[in-house]
Amino acid sequence: MWSTGFALLTRHSRPVAAIGAAAFTVLSLFSQGFVQAFAQALAASDASAPIAITITSKGCEPNALTLPEGKTTFKIKNGSARVLEWEILDGVMVVEERENIIPGFVQTLTATLKPGQYQMTCGLLSNPKGTLTVTATGTTAAKAEPSASDLAGPLAEYKVYVTREVGDLVTKTKGFTDAVKAGKLQEAQSLYALARQHYERIEPMAELFSDLDKSMDARADDFEKKEDDPAFGGFHRIEKALFAEKSTAGMEPVADQLMHDVQELQSRIGVLVIPPNKMVGGAASLIEEVAATKISGEEDRYSGTDLWDFQANVDGAQKIFNLLRPLITPRNPALDDRVQANFTKVDGLLARYRGQDGQFQNYDKLSPRDRNALKGAITALAEDLSQLRGTLALD
Amino acid sequence: MAPTRRHLIAALGTAGSIAALGVKPTPAAAADCTPDQESDGTLDSQPFFGKRQSGVVTPQPAAAMVAAFDVLADDRAGLEKMLRILTARISVLTKAGPVPVLDPKLPPAESGLLGPQIYPDNLTVTVSVGASLFDDRFGIAAQKPKRLVTMERFSNDALDPKFCHGDLLLQICSNTAETNIHALRDVIKNMPDLIALRWKLDGFLPPHTIKRAGKDTVRNLLGFKDGTANLDGRDDALMDRVVWVQPGSDEPAWAAGGSYQVVRIIRNLVERWDRTPLAEQQRIIGRDKMSGAPLGMNAEHDSPDYAKDPKGERISLDAHIRLANPRTKETDASLILRRGFNFSRGISASGQLDMGLLFVCFQSDLNAGFLAVQKRLNNEPLEEYIKPTGGGYFFVLPGVPDESAFLGQGLLGA
Repeated sequence: MWSTGFALLTRHSRPVAAIGAAAFTVLSLFSQGFVQAFAQALAASDASAPIAITITSKGCEPNALTLPEGKTTFKIKNGSARVLEWEILDGVMVVEERENIIPGFVQTLTATLKPGQYQMTCGLLSNPKGTLTVTATGTTAAKAEPSASDLAGPLAEYKVYVTREVGDLVTKTKGFTDAVKAGKLQEAQSLYALARQHYERIEPMAELFSDLDKSMDARADDFEKKEDDPAFGGFHRIEKALFAEKSTAGMEPVADQLMHDVQELQSRIGVLVIPPNKMVGGAASLIEEVAATKISGEEDRYSGTDLWDFQANVDGAQKIFNLLRPLITPRNPALDDRVQANFTKVDGLLARYRGQDGQFQNYDKLSPRDRNALKGAITALAEDLSQLRGTLALD
Repeated sequence: MAPTRRHLIAALGTAGSIAALGVKPTPAAAADCTPDQESDGTLDSQPFFGKRQSGVVTPQPAAAMVAAFDVLADDRAGLEKMLRILTARISVLTKAGPVPVLDPKLPPAESGLLGPQIYPDNLTVTVSVGASLFDDRFGIAAQKPKRLVTMERFSNDALDPKFCHGDLLLQICSNTAETNIHALRDVIKNMPDLIALRWKLDGFLPPHTIKRAGKDTVRNLLGFKDGTANLDGRDDALMDRVVWVQPGSDEPAWAAGGSYQVVRIIRNLVERWDRTPLAEQQRIIGRDKMSGAPLGMNAEHDSPDYAKDPKGERISLDAHIRLANPRTKETDASLILRRGFNFSRGISASGQLDMGLLFVCFQSDLNAGFLAVQKRLNNEPLEEYIKPTGGGYFFVLPGVPDESAFLGQGLLGA
């Protein structure tokens, strides 16, 4: 509506000041309405008033709190003389924390708590810990945002998985690069896809280190001079040598760099604390990889081993999904059903192209129709997995 | 042909009524005012002759095309001939006039795409040159603008050589794609022996939004308002400082009144973007998607106060708008005038959409401008969703003062 009115005003070439004033009125009406709606939305989501806690040199005031489950906002005032942090503990695990509260200052913290008995830290370690009792109201039980402790289990298990995969990546890449350097063409060819699959399974974690990812996994398309570009290295440069040039000539430095990168990745992943949103979002990222570069057969264009990478990406996504299922199922059973069905479908399709010996067919053998069948299921998975983070309230 | 004639007559009538209201239908007025709603825009025009070329600080119309060429002329005389023909053709194409009628046994004089009367339709054809023009062919190596180089790959680029660089670039903008195509075909037809098309890409903007330029901002194909903090092309003093090479600078004397032009073809991975949580999209860009307001502020044109948000609690330290323009005294030198368009063409090998931003910007110093901005943007989180695949760096020639002169005359010292 207002755009039409505005266009009419300008058409009659009113003096600029009048146009400005009119536009201002319309705009301010518009933003007022907007701000009001926004404020209402905020009020609706924060039903309960914040809870004030003051931390003195002796401890928390109050020192015992009882709250209903769900979202609570705490206003933490530092009434002591030193900088402090305030934590909510579930046993020894930190559920939520606010760091660096300066003396005299108030910080807020919003936490979503499940029913149970928690403790809160109250300044000096020698101070008694406060108690936090969260009671069940029954209304939010299944839908509540998962707490940090809900995610701790899946995160720990995923870290074990990633560590194992990167360990296998190092071992297999060693065998692969040794074969390349020894000029054993056939052996190197047979080890290429076997080494890569460990990378492809954990690709979202590897991509947290973009320098290494670009060095190890860049494709010729990323460079202006394409295959002739001196910066083109990593897995795909060796792939080209092994499968297109059918020679290992000149690959020694590329193999050494790859081995170096893989070891560097292992050491960085060793100390990596996996951020929850990266793990949960990783399932979608893996499927996006498939949708963008595996369906076309451009990833492993020289070797035709795309199906190995394809399967590894799907395995990696499925691993994440399965670890999170106990949290997803109660919150969105329909999503869980659809994702399970699509994983089963994709695995079934991929199995068709795998021989008795466990070897995948060359991707060239797949007809456009075969590829489209994969594309449909993969795109549906991408759409559904894009809901995961939101379902688990991780943005 | 009848509809075109009708449009022309209608447009003439409207132009008359604007004059009656006391608004001069000069290009300056066209730039300042919202176009008349009843005009079909075919008689909107931008000047060709002037100290500086049009199409740089000119408000953006709805349709654009960038076309890069290899120059085929093999000596200085050939280069001059090309530039003289180009000058003459642009002069004809940017104003109304009849198409010559030839013997029907011959091919027609031109494409006929606009009908019997060429109409300007807001056309600008902006001519710029690439670093490769200054090689050993034309004896002008010493005249190369000091900062003009061949575009190099940034870490997230996947440059397609079939869409990079060029000796010559025409940025053709007008109200419609047809008018741009008409101009391109005219230029090509008039000097097939002197230039060869290297690559081209069409771009577009929503006509309804650009009609309200200054009051509304176009959205890019990521769905975000793009250009909110862009510079005001009507601010002459600012344009002199940021966009135009000034007399007495360290550039060759002929370059005064020119500008460095950057073109980047930036594919947006839109399927993946559309499957990204809204909160993350907004964090990556730094703005609210619907209102365009910087995160934590109320309105689109509110200025984010980064000094009060040193840890990036409201707007992440690596949010696109914060890296692109940190709004500090030190980064004031890296201001650029953006003039990008959306593009959409075909699909990828995987069947995903090939669309995104045809990024164009102008600055008086390539190093201090785009290159400094891009250096800050390298490795930004947005890179997961964008892929630059082509483009190049060019230098916009100074304007043609009058009909006795030609584009690049100063460069050739003629």
